[in-house]
Amino acid sequence: MVRVLVVDDTAFMRKLLKNILFSAGFDIAGEAENGKQAVELYKQLKPDIVTMDIVMPEMNGIDALKEIKKLDPDAKVVMCTAVGQEQMVKMAIKLGAKGYIVKPFQAPKVVEELKKVAKV
Amino acid sequence: MRERSKGCADMAETKLIGEIFEGGWRKVEVIIGEKSMVFGKEKIDFKNITDLELTSYEGKECIRLKSGRDYYFSFGDRQRQVFRFLAFNIKSDKFAVYFLSPALRGGVLVTNSKWEKGYFSITESAIWFLSPERQIRIPLNAVGSVSKDKRTVGDKQRVVLSVTHLEGKEVLTSFVLCPETTLELLMDYLRRILEQQKPKEKLSEIEEQVLTMVYTGVDSSSIESVLGISTEELNKIYDKFVSLGIAKIVKIRKEIELTPKGVVLVSEVAKKLGGGKGG
Repeated sequence: MVRVLVVDDTAFMRKLLKNILFSAGFDIAGEAENGKQAVELYKQLKPDIVTMDIVMPEMNGIDALKEIKKLDPDAKVVMCTAVGQEQMVKMAIKLGAKGYIVKPFQAPKVVEELKKVAKV
Repeated sequence: MRERSKGCADMAETKLIGEIFEGGWRKVEVIIGEKSMVFGKEKIDFKNITDLELTSYEGKECIRLKSGRDYYFSFGDRQRQVFRFLAFNIKSDKFAVYFLSPALRGGVLVTNSKWEKGYFSITESAIWFLSPERQIRIPLNAVGSVSKDKRTVGDKQRVVLSVTHLEGKEVLTSFVLCPETTLELLMDYLRRILEQQKPKEKLSEIEEQVLTMVYTGVDSSSIESVLGISTEELNKIYDKFVSLGIAKIVKIRKEIELTPKGVVLVSEVAKKLGGGKGG
């Protein structure tokens, strides 16, 4: 089963993503509410995929992506973006993000993207 | 910049055999002139057409046009040509612009989209991006937001009008490049439209969360369990959405409990599932 670490600073978004992923048969490895926590949890949990929000306190998603990639160059990180963050997405893809999902989420697209990334 | 009724003149005085829906589809001869179209004993002046769209009606791909009432015409392989001609000639306010539509799909750049020279057109129920190649109709209720944005066009940083709109369930963003006075005018117009469409009542945090979850495709039971609310509370929120016109009822759930007869039946089923005789 594919284990996912869900990273978002809003509890509601984490719940929502967990619900979508759980219903689609993913395993929730853990959740983090900022980039710093995400990096720590990545070390501990070694998830198969990380869903990473971009705008977060403490450490944003782009910096967390960089840190995780330093720890594990093969890490599969999927960015969670909002409309208007296309420059951030481009940057994240350059930094090694494997994909992106757009808020507000649509469950089938989230599942499709994560399944695609899981296979890579 | 502001123009009326200027557009493609590629159909002047054309006789077409098409179909019209009047209780059923029937053949009709339509003469499309410079300013009007004539069929049977009827004549529709283009300046009286207040809405137009390509749609599907009673099993046929067709053109719906509104001139007092709705008319449905089907023109087979000439359909796109007729639609393009009408789109340029119906009652509208047209502004010469450059447009990029869609520039973003779900917040991500659409790489094969190109700036086109054409018109931003406003009709009674829609806004349009018009060029000889494409006639994009966006119903007013599908317009999400409008703002100014800075974009690189050619080599220069230019102020553009950014319009987000829905296509199905997908959020698209289109850009309009035009002189600043036109841009201000369009932005003001669209903002007034959006203001009229906003629900009169504000949503609470939990209501906003329910709305987001419905959009995401989460089912009612999961919404209840994720947000920790009861069915009654959720139903109340749904009722509010419906009364505000931001949602519609598509299914009414039934909650049941078993009668004694049903309980007996379950016992029988359990025996079967358990392996039947002695299982």
